[in-house]
Amino acid sequence: MAEQPSQPVQHPLTVVMKAKSPEDYAALRQAVEALQALPPDKNPITVAFNKIGTVHFGRFAFLGNDQLGVITTYDGDFDVYINEFIDNIGDVFNTLLAHVEDAPPLPVQTHRQEFLNYVHRVDCGCVEPFYSAYPEHTVLDILNVTRDGPS
Amino acid sequence: MVGIELGDVQGLILRGYTMPVARYLGLSVRKSAGARAFLAALMDSDSAIAALTTAAPWPVKPDCCVSLGITFPGLAALGVPPASLASFPVEYREGAVQRAASVGDVGASAPERWLPWLADPALHLLVVLFAQCDDALDVATKHLEQAWFPGCVELGRQDGARLPGNFAHFGYRDNLSQPTIDGIPPSGLPDPLPPAPVGEFLLGYPSQFDQFSYPVPEPLELGINGSFAAFRVLEQDVDAFAEFVAQQAASTGMPAELIEAKLCGRWRNGTPLVLSPDTDTPNPPISPEAMNNFDYVGEYGDEQGYRCPIGSHIRRMNPRGQRVAGNGGQQHRIVRRGIAYGPPYDPAHPRDGQARGLLGLFIGASLRDQFEFLMTQWANDGTFAAGLGRTNDPLIGAQANGATSFSIPRPQGTVVLHGLSRFVTTRGGAYCFLPSISGIRYLAGLGSDR
Repeated sequence: MAEQPSQPVQHPLTVVMKAKSPEDYAALRQAVEALQALPPDKNPITVAFNKIGTVHFGRFAFLGNDQLGVITTYDGDFDVYINEFIDNIGDVFNTLLAHVEDAPPLPVQTHRQEFLNYVHRVDCGCVEPFYSAYPEHTVLDILNVTRDGPS
Repeated sequence: MVGIELGDVQGLILRGYTMPVARYLGLSVRKSAGARAFLAALMDSDSAIAALTTAAPWPVKPDCCVSLGITFPGLAALGVPPASLASFPVEYREGAVQRAASVGDVGASAPERWLPWLADPALHLLVVLFAQCDDALDVATKHLEQAWFPGCVELGRQDGARLPGNFAHFGYRDNLSQPTIDGIPPSGLPDPLPPAPVGEFLLGYPSQFDQFSYPVPEPLELGINGSFAAFRVLEQDVDAFAEFVAQQAASTGMPAELIEAKLCGRWRNGTPLVLSPDTDTPNPPISPEAMNNFDYVGEYGDEQGYRCPIGSHIRRMNPRGQRVAGNGGQQHRIVRRGIAYGPPYDPAHPRDGQARGLLGLFIGASLRDQFEFLMTQWANDGTFAAGLGRTNDPLIGAQANGATSFSIPRPQGTVVLHGLSRFVTTRGGAYCFLPSISGIRYLAGLGSDR
């Protein structure tokens, strides 16, 4: 490569999933709220993100009365690390996707390409440019400097 | 542990042949029936030609080992039906030429400047020979030529020969590290990592990822027990490398040998820096069997790279237990079968105008998750690890000349080597399917003619 890209090392993910029914929406809310109520060391999402080491920020947001948003900022290429994401957090995806429209076949662990295709379909992307206050610094860079990040 | 029928697997996938000479022959199919007859002859132990070498144990080591790779156009040329062709992974279907830029084959390494036979869209078969001597290589080649013609014609060839002491042209001892595969006799020195699952290297078995086996190309008899390989002709600019090391030694005051070791991660004699950071002849010495028995973290305690820089070649290509993006340091391993080509480099007679380098086969069940991942994420980018930024592998990276730097962390302050150049130029490549013996038999038995 002759030149380094001008894009930040971080990328946005804005996934919006629509619940299949009001009952499924209620089930989604219950599942997400139960996960987020867990202490960090017991929350499979926190544990997974800490282990993967590419997610700067991640949050759930309920949109309207029938949609769940999963919003993250992460390093690198989502496709490249899809296997690592599935290995570490696949069961959470399986729980949530059981309640959404046009979900990929489950479990995601055995239907990886279908899951990746699904994420691309429901990712809203962003209106470029994606702003970053520290465009050249990854999660691992920051944790290395601060030395207080989770291992 | 998964049971594997070793006699159905091409030997090159699971074992190194440790033979001193090699020949890579690129063929094009001209008559599919004749090409299929050639494949059938490779399966026939009574045939005059050397039969394809399997992974089954040898009673006697043969004079010559034969392996066969097939490009995606080659499968079509042999008459594989469209539905079967469509079941192969996209990166293999697109091939090395189309995907060259993504793995850093740009500029002087772009396909427009490759050896013509490797950029030829009619490259269909790669016949790989490893032999005990030149005579055995030539005899095997002659018989194979008689068998493949007129069904196939030769587009080109490249010969290789091991350098004395099993060194590579840059001056480092080579072939020290291979993944240990669960249930398979090891083909390299032991390491402390968990064995790789068979499905990381053979199609049809559980892979290194949870509850996942790579899809087996169809029909099953064609795909199972097969694998994929990226063949690469890698020209090494030993003059530029030597000059860079000399310049950096002069500007930093560090000994040239230490700079070489920091770039690689091993001293020239193969001693790993993480085990012996100050000398290539530690006391007590490291036994030959222990030269690959290390990690960078845990009891080895080199998380910061003070002994073996995080950006060094071997640490990038195999991070072992080190923390990397995705936490997949042990999930992108690769089998490497390499041999040098060109005459040995003589520092007393530099710039001799001779082409020299490495002929490499990089083998795994997934070109995307293994060879391409290594090139795109670990060789040609540094953001996978803390503190590397957008840097490249110092030995094989696709950096523009003078464009990037290499950091040598030290407790007393980092030394930065500036002006790192591209020392390896790709002279050609091919993505090949390595079918099983059953797979080759299936191909030989296809009936449709072109």
